Amino acid sequence: MPVVEQAQIRASAEQRYAHELVALAERDREQGAELPPGWRLSARAVRDFVVGDPAVGVTRKFYGDDPLVDRAVVTLLGRQGLMLVGEPGTAKSMLSELFAAAISGTSNLTVQGTAGTTEDHIRYSWNYALLLAEGPTPRALVPSPVYQGMVGGQVVRFEEITRCAPEVQDTLVSILSEKQLMVPEQGAESRVSARPGFNLIGTANLRDRGVNEMSAALKRRFNFETVRPLTDRAFEVELISHQLAAALGDQAERVRVDRDVLDLLVTAFQDLRGGRTSDGVPVKTPETVMSTAEAVNVAHAAALEARYLGSGTVTGAGIARQLAGVALKDSAEDATRLRYYVDTVVRERARTDARWREFLGAATDLWG
Amino acid sequence: MGLTAPGAVVPPRLQRALDAFAGLQDDGLYLVPVRHHSPACALAVAALVREVRPAAVLIEGPEEYTPLVAALQDPATVPPVAVLSIARTGESTSSAFYPLAEFSPEWVALRAAGEAGVPVAFIDRPWAAAEHPDEEHLTRTLQAERYLADSRTLAEIARREHCRDHDELWDQLVELRPREDLADWRRTCRDVLVWSALARLDYEPEVLAAEGSLDREARMAARVREWRARVDGPVVVVTGGFHTLALVEALTGAPEGDPVRALEPAGGYGPPATQNTAAWLIRYDFARLDALRGYGAGMPSPGFHQRTWQWLTAAEGPEQVTAEILVDVARRVHAAGAYDRTGTAATGAALEQATRLAHLRGHPWPGRTDVLDAITSCFVDDSGPDAALREAVDRAFCGHALGEVPPGTAAPPIVAEARRTAERLRLVVTDSLPRTTTTDPVRSPGQRERSRFLALMEFLGTGFSRRVGGPDLVRGQGLGLLQEQWQYAWTPMVEAALIDLAQHGGTLLDVAEARIVAAEHALDASPERRSAAGAVQVLAQAAVVGLGSRLRPLVDLVGSHLDVDPSLGSVVGAAHRTLALWRARASLDVDDAIGYSLLQLLHQAVPAAAYLVLGGARPGPDDEERAVATLVAVHDLLRDLQHQLDVTALERALDRARLDPDTSPGVRGALVALGVVDGAVGDDELSAQLVAHLGTGADVEVSVRFLAGVMAAAPDLLLHTPALVDAVGAALTRMSDEAFLAALPELRRSFARLRPTETAQLAEHVAGPAGGLVDVRHTDLTQADLAEGVALERQLSRSLADESLLAWVLDREPS
Repeated sequence: MPVVEQAQIRASAEQRYAHELVALAERDREQGAELPPGWRLSARAVRDFVVGDPAVGVTRKFYGDDPLVDRAVVTLLGRQGLMLVGEPGTAKSMLSELFAAAISGTSNLTVQGTAGTTEDHIRYSWNYALLLAEGPTPRALVPSPVYQGMVGGQVVRFEEITRCAPEVQDTLVSILSEKQLMVPEQGAESRVSARPGFNLIGTANLRDRGVNEMSAALKRRFNFETVRPLTDRAFEVELISHQLAAALGDQAERVRVDRDVLDLLVTAFQDLRGGRTSDGVPVKTPETVMSTAEAVNVAHAAALEARYLGSGTVTGAGIARQLAGVALKDSAEDATRLRYYVDTVVRERARTDARWREFLGAATDLWG
Repeated sequence: MGLTAPGAVVPPRLQRALDAFAGLQDDGLYLVPVRHHSPACALAVAALVREVRPAAVLIEGPEEYTPLVAALQDPATVPPVAVLSIARTGESTSSAFYPLAEFSPEWVALRAAGEAGVPVAFIDRPWAAAEHPDEEHLTRTLQAERYLADSRTLAEIARREHCRDHDELWDQLVELRPREDLADWRRTCRDVLVWSALARLDYEPEVLAAEGSLDREARMAARVREWRARVDGPVVVVTGGFHTLALVEALTGAPEGDPVRALEPAGGYGPPATQNTAAWLIRYDFARLDALRGYGAGMPSPGFHQRTWQWLTAAEGPEQVTAEILVDVARRVHAAGAYDRTGTAATGAALEQATRLAHLRGHPWPGRTDVLDAITSCFVDDSGPDAALREAVDRAFCGHALGEVPPGTAAPPIVAEARRTAERLRLVVTDSLPRTTTTDPVRSPGQRERSRFLALMEFLGTGFSRRVGGPDLVRGQGLGLLQEQWQYAWTPMVEAALIDLAQHGGTLLDVAEARIVAAEHALDASPERRSAAGAVQVLAQAAVVGLGSRLRPLVDLVGSHLDVDPSLGSVVGAAHRTLALWRARASLDVDDAIGYSLLQLLHQAVPAAAYLVLGGARPGPDDEERAVATLVAVHDLLRDLQHQLDVTALERALDRARLDPDTSPGVRGALVALGVVDGAVGDDELSAQLVAHLGTGADVEVSVRFLAGVMAAAPDLLLHTPALVDAVGAALTRMSDEAFLAALPELRRSFARLRPTETAQLAEHVAGPAGGLVDVRHTDLTQADLAEGVALERQLSRSLADESLLAWVLDREPS
């Protein structure tokens, strides 16, 4: 496959951290570390690539759960696939990219799971012009990333596996257990056998569960690791403030968004996302995704409302109104959950804080 | 890796101490720093005693334990056992445990000294001399290692070594070493000294003085010197690693040892104290040993370490432990029900995973966290660990060994305590005859104490007392009553039960506290079983037996359950009971802060119940009766609370449920009726709804359920609202005969809620002044019917006369 030599929006992990991979390979050589069959680095070097090792100038790329990284690396050494599950935005894909880059030197063997993913995307398809001209020759066969990974002994990534139809997911069952892929078009005996180093990292969104639940047979082929979200409020406020400024563009100057209004927004989102306020008061978590991106949407909508329909200043009330619109799209139950949040947390805060009082007023009118 | 690896930076003070530590050994003084219940330290002690053949063995532990050495060394004593200490100072008593497992370094030292026939002495401050400020009863252990959990330095090293906490770091640096390294006691001692000293250096001297460490170390140093002078030959001193640095500095005259030396009295400590204190050897078990870990006492997971120890001291290696534990876990999960991730293949994969994790982390065999991580990887999928797996892992890692003490070991003082208290409260304990007594907690403190003691003995299952009547705050019965009736008897079985209880705590209240805490954990452990009503029950239990210290955590627990409890019935039940507790706060001697918190709980219950009302208003047809009862309870709660709290959220929720189209007919009937009672809904609206429900073409089942709801919520509404009766009457008249017959059983049930007098009243109204609507006279009787009736009555009178029951019928004395 030709490498496109031009500016990229986003470089792959093996490109961004090329020098770190080289340093770790160098260390493995010096220490005479044992490389697992088909791996480019030792298991310990792969671990250090993710959690960092200042001694060789390797940065930490994943925070908060080192034992999870250990378990993941060891799982990839074995026969089981690795399934990373978690809420949206918990760096599952980043982790799988890092592992693939460190173990196989490439993170490009990736299947992006969608409702439209077919068996062909997982097994192989044909170049129909060649197929008609030559028949099912190796030249006419278009290998999938899984196929390529098996032939090359490399780690394959399967993103958002639960978005695929169950029967398509189940194609993986035999691949993972037999480590073979039959190509009946090329004769009864024709098959691809996976070389050492082949394994599969799946990622799945916990919110997708129930839409396309994985079969028990497929689940048994994977070891599961649950990646948990990080919670740093100041960081999130900063992030939203930047993204809001970008989204507003020129209009940013015509509307006032105070820091403490953003703080209120982030607090509300973190409370609802985590199911618990920073004071430890439990709240009901809505089904809708309370991601940072949604928080930006709420802030943006509130800013536009203030700009065109209001006084030009975003208030707690504006946030409450937009929160209703953005956060209440998934289920009717969510309204009850938000009402509970208002009845417990917001009502309490409104006693001492003017912004929460505005929020409460608007929320009571809207959802009360 | 390793704390004393070449090139590691060691603080200068620590380096000096390490040199002095080695110097003391040249003088025949072997200080052994240990972590309690650490197999690696136990192996080091064994190897050391084998090599140096000491003339005396000294152990950190209250001095008054020394007379128990013979019992501890008795072959009939099998660990886990514990020494129970009880100190009385004035009115109050305090107690603590000193547990010993087979793999405890102290135990190994005791037994090795016994085999060698050399004296053993405990050298720490007597338990009675200690101040016991803020620790809770149950958590008191004489082997506290809180300083390890709190150490900044250790936390930093743990982070650097990719370990999740200091326990994992400890395993990595000390426990998980090749067997030949573990046999090298010099290295283990040195590593443990460095480890604990790093933690100790995080502490300010003032803190150490305030918590009594320096005081204890002064005494231990003095005792070590006394023994050094008394015997020829090596002296082995086994203490928690935290104290070793101080002991080394105090014994070698280092300037850092001044604060400790300064505390020593000029005339020395005199003979070991045995006053004001009592110590008892009792059986112990791993569950309790493990329970102490939350409070920083010794190593976690005794079951795991027990197995490791058995393999370490046998010929083969400990690798086998992993397979045993995994198979054990898998087997337990299977026994508990279906779980498809713990089959043989998965168990094999987990074993491989554990082995590889150990390899990746540089462990010679899989340690505790390696095995736990392997279980996480291989036995758990995206739905998270289920209750059966959690339970299986707990059991396997905690273990279930129960110790033995020699027959004839003195009974612990809890028996005497119970008897003395009973006597003081004028309960008869001189014979075993059952008696009854009445207490009136509202009346006086003495009565309250009596009530609490009887409740305590009942709660502990001693078989001494039984509540037979009066208010029961725990079960929520008889809440309007004041006096309590009890039955009690002091039997030999009561004494036996009390001796059994001694392993759970030193005093009755300690045991009760242990029970309550266990109940708390049980409630807290399984999120799916979270029940606010269950939590309030435990809270009420603690209040009733007088466990003031547990009320705060329990109130918090109720609070956390209120917010997650999915059941409206449970939340409302919890609120009602909390209200009962709040009202009884004076007779329970509950302090004002807790009283206020109970109010806060009610404050919190309002939105929690409001959140659940909509869901609770949509039951299936079979659950409707219960749902109606629950919503009536919600309404009662609202009325009980409305003068104390802001109940708007709940009012709004009931309004919403009343108007919600998905609310089931019975519940809607109840809510409309309650609305009428409150004046929120007009009589005419209820009438209109009734007519609509019972009108022509209405679904009979729905209409009858609606009426049943009305009758369940406010049966007397019909009596006081003539218009309503007329509406029902008119509607029923319009019904087709078939529909009426189909509805009849339900209708009869609904109207059965009225009291007999109310039924009569209603009948009168329905019959009207002229009695024209309903003709209740039967006119189709024949003469034969009359004759048969008369004959029957005669027969009945005769048989009543034969049984001498005629007086009962005729309401007069038998002649």
